[in-house]
Amino acid sequence: MSDAILIIGGGIAGINAALNAGDYGCKVYLIDDTASIGGMMARLDKTFPTNDCSICIESPLMYEVDNHPNIEILTNTEVRRVKKENGTFTVRLLKKAKFIDEERCTGCGSCVEACPVSVPDELDGKIGGMRKLIFMPFPQAVPNVSVIDPRCRYGKMRELGACVGGCVVDCSQCRECPIALCVKACKEEGKDAVVLWQADRPMDIEIKSIIVATGIRSAEPDTGLYGYNIYGNVITYIQFERLMNAGGPTAGEIIRPSDKKHAQKIAWIQCAGRGLTKGLPYCSKVCCMVATKQTIITKEHDASTETLVFYNDLKAYGKGFWGFYQKAIENGVRYIRARPYDVSEDPKTKNLTIRYEDLDTAEIEEVEVELLVLSTGLVPSERNKRLAKVLKIELDNLGFFKEKDPMLAPLETGVEGIYVCGGATGPIDISESVVQASAASMKAVLK
Amino acid sequence: MNENIRVGVFVCDCGSNIAGIVNVPEVVEYTKGLKHVAFADEGKWSCSVDYLAKMKELIKENDLNRVVIASCTPRTHEPLFKRTVKEAGVNPYLLEFVSIREQVSWVHRADPSKATEKVKDLVRMGVAKAVLLEEGEEIRLSVKTDCLVIGGGMAGMTAALNIADQGFHAILVEKESRLGGLLNRLSVVCHDHVKLEAAEIVKAKVALVESHQNIKVYTNAEIEAVEGYIGNYKVTLKANGSNETFDASTVIVATGMQEIEPVGQFQYGSDPRVVTQVQLEGLLRGDEVGQVKDVVIVNCVNSKNESRGCCTIGCSVSVKNALALKMLNKDIRVDILYRDLSMVREEGSDLETAKRAGVKFIRFPDDRYPEVTKEDGNLGVRVYDILLGKEFTLPSDLVVLTTGFKGDDTCEAIKGHLKVSTNPDGFFQEAHIKLGPLDFPSDGISLCGCARSPKNLKDSCEEGAGAAMRASIPMKRGYLEAEGIVADIDLDVCNSCGLCAKNCPYGAIKWEDEKPNVIKALCKGCGLCAADCPKNAISIIHYSDEQILAQVDAALEERPEEKIIGFVCHWCALGGVDMAGVSRLQYPTNARLIRVMCSARVAIKFIERAFELGAAGVLVAGCEFPTCHYITGNYAAEERIKRAKKRLARKGYDPEKLWNVWCSAADGPKFANTMRDMVKELGLE
Repeated sequence: MSDAILIIGGGIAGINAALNAGDYGCKVYLIDDTASIGGMMARLDKTFPTNDCSICIESPLMYEVDNHPNIEILTNTEVRRVKKENGTFTVRLLKKAKFIDEERCTGCGSCVEACPVSVPDELDGKIGGMRKLIFMPFPQAVPNVSVIDPRCRYGKMRELGACVGGCVVDCSQCRECPIALCVKACKEEGKDAVVLWQADRPMDIEIKSIIVATGIRSAEPDTGLYGYNIYGNVITYIQFERLMNAGGPTAGEIIRPSDKKHAQKIAWIQCAGRGLTKGLPYCSKVCCMVATKQTIITKEHDASTETLVFYNDLKAYGKGFWGFYQKAIENGVRYIRARPYDVSEDPKTKNLTIRYEDLDTAEIEEVEVELLVLSTGLVPSERNKRLAKVLKIELDNLGFFKEKDPMLAPLETGVEGIYVCGGATGPIDISESVVQASAASMKAVLK
Repeated sequence: MNENIRVGVFVCDCGSNIAGIVNVPEVVEYTKGLKHVAFADEGKWSCSVDYLAKMKELIKENDLNRVVIASCTPRTHEPLFKRTVKEAGVNPYLLEFVSIREQVSWVHRADPSKATEKVKDLVRMGVAKAVLLEEGEEIRLSVKTDCLVIGGGMAGMTAALNIADQGFHAILVEKESRLGGLLNRLSVVCHDHVKLEAAEIVKAKVALVESHQNIKVYTNAEIEAVEGYIGNYKVTLKANGSNETFDASTVIVATGMQEIEPVGQFQYGSDPRVVTQVQLEGLLRGDEVGQVKDVVIVNCVNSKNESRGCCTIGCSVSVKNALALKMLNKDIRVDILYRDLSMVREEGSDLETAKRAGVKFIRFPDDRYPEVTKEDGNLGVRVYDILLGKEFTLPSDLVVLTTGFKGDDTCEAIKGHLKVSTNPDGFFQEAHIKLGPLDFPSDGISLCGCARSPKNLKDSCEEGAGAAMRASIPMKRGYLEAEGIVADIDLDVCNSCGLCAKNCPYGAIKWEDEKPNVIKALCKGCGLCAADCPKNAISIIHYSDEQILAQVDAALEERPEEKIIGFVCHWCALGGVDMAGVSRLQYPTNARLIRVMCSARVAIKFIERAFELGAAGVLVAGCEFPTCHYITGNYAAEERIKRAKKRLARKGYDPEKLWNVWCSAADGPKFANTMRDMVKELGLE
């Protein structure tokens, strides 16, 4: 019987589960359907309640996974089919083409410099982050290799000025390319690692257990919610996190999208989009502390910046969280118990006026700010549905993976040998994800 | 040194990434002229499979016994090159890595000639260190398979079962007369509308534990002493009046928590109709609630104030018990007085059920707590309702106080036995709140359940299983392995002052026969002890004083007045340097960086040597607070820099030329700016 373990999702939960199981002595396949492991944590600036820099504490673990003799990382990889027989799972994986020879690419970035087309980055686009059509997922990416936007091939990005724009041959038909600048740049470097004609590669593995660690994502607000997507200076908390990040699109400058000026007065609206006629019917647990962290860091950048947090129930539920909130108050952050009902923009200054009822005083008030951050909460990963079907396990009514018996057998699913941890189970913070990853890996190796 | 030192230097082009700026052939030629260098070569892509094979051949052909690689960054590529030299028959500790892409070609694009000079310096520094390198090896400490679990609540029992199911041996120690912990005092537990009798849960778990052949249970037992370290614990137990001693290899702490009784507040203690949540659970469990009509629950008692935080579970406990009272008799009036309702996903649905059942929720202000009143023997609770904006008194024949929790009473004693720490609330302090939640800084001791912080049944059981995993890894492998970068104490020089043992963040230096003894497998090699040793008796293998001073000397051989010596920690500071490189941030070429594992390794004598040799400035770069890969190394470094400045001033050097920066691995701009500022302030432009 196989002794190997498959971990689906390479965020902080998956990484921890992999390191535990790998250190224990099991062969581990750690797969992620994006181009790098690291997950959401790799893109955050700081972590509450200590303000540890996120990538500083995560990247050593990413390198450790990368160099671990028992762990095989497969990025851009999806689970296609799972068959269980006599306690062993046979899994068909599909490694989707990065159009890069991962063995040859050294992550030098020459191809990226050569690429003539920039497009808005998926995560950072709203706040001005751009990437090339061939790009490094992020500077500390593991594996540290480039990846090509599949839309770039076969002239599909012609209007944007893609170098292969005029070509009428499907990239998959060729075995060399005289046009593409990335191919040329890589050849000049002597590597020849760009393979525009690379095909997806199926792969079959046999394993004894599976850990689902597909993570979580920040909810995208509906257009119009407090002016989101209508007014330029209304952004989400994950976008704000990227603004604060020295490794983000603004090199850590907290500047507002409309005029690239430093925002001197910033408001956060907690529970944005929650509990109204539609939207999230639950508390996402982390947003209060995320906002608290963001206000503290904002004050660290510039102590004179005014920060206001509109909240309803303050969730300071974990170890050290209350002290963290107290620190924010000491630093001059204003917490206002209120649910704002309207936001409007001054067309000239692009400032935003927030109208709200102060629950403590029952007065209707208004305040003008330069940047508005919406704490929109956490929602299940969009992969969950398909994956649940492939794995034949259940989702709950919200779209998170269902535990068979949360109280007596936490993290176990309806299928013996499949376990779940981290954001796949619901809104959760990093520390709880790490705990669950340890527990899930215990169950997975014991199977 | 009798050995014939033959250093091989491999300078990488990284395609045009390095060679496009740096004149690599010139560097190679220069290198060949350095003392002890037996061979130097230029590689187009040193990390490519074919060049690695060639490198192995070249090492063997030229009989090399030290290797210097000048290429990208050690943070990503050192393990690869270590494996390669090992395969070529050279001890991997005889490899020195020089970063010339992130530290030179990517950040000094405008000045190829200065960049080339800098690379020559860096390679010369690397060779100087390589000459002094000594063979090292990973250190193994054997670990057997017996685990002491302290605390027989749900977390401890779960941990013990997971340990035992692997065929390992668990010794479960409970201070009370029966297993079950806090759950023994509760009525029901709920999760997402599912309700289970606490007694049933305990019964089932205890049956599993007691029938397991690999678990030995001690009840009515107290830990008298724990001596030793991972793989070598000697445990003394007092059980049922007699002492017993046994060996253990690992320890799991699951001592749980207890309610803080609000004595003297809200009439608690003076009126029996005022109880805590746990007391209410007892009443519910024993069906002793009686004919109550009006119940008022007050949340956040002694929580969320100056001294204590949120108790984490109080809101859901109050809702659960309000529902239990309603189940008992739907006509009982239940009011929950709260500040914030801190309920997550599945708890939120219980909240709705409670509202439907008629439980009323009244919000009071943070600074205006309800008061329990007594008139003619009748209890009442006076509360100011924020939403209504008025104050009123609720009649009550049972007042339930949702109080906070603290670590168990045994915490203090355990803390002493295991040499671990607790926070002011009496909960144990984990190694890292985010990434090491179930570990203590010392290897071999794990932590789980309410001993860490208040939590519900589900989370406690998860932590129990997780802590079992953390403890099982060394037991399964049969050993604990540490990298060979460790402290080594010269006992002939040591004067037994004890500073090293006191300061070691990992408890790796034990006191034996009036002398320190480094348990090498526990040592993480940060170098804090060595840098502070008043007798210079401690050396760090691979980062010895001689090796680092040789790098300083080599860096300042020529034109020292233009150069800045930078000591950078391997983790965040070097990460920041690399980030500046990846982002192609351009800054002046003056810095010559020396890598140390932690900024705490930087001894004052290193700084002094740089100034003695005429350096323009010195920079100490470590992790941004509060992050430190070695827990508190950067704090120690900060203190030491203050002392260094005083000492520099006494010796006639300008202390303002000693700089420091605490830089995160994401903060390339901070490092680049520091370089620019230093060059400007030191007048090097």
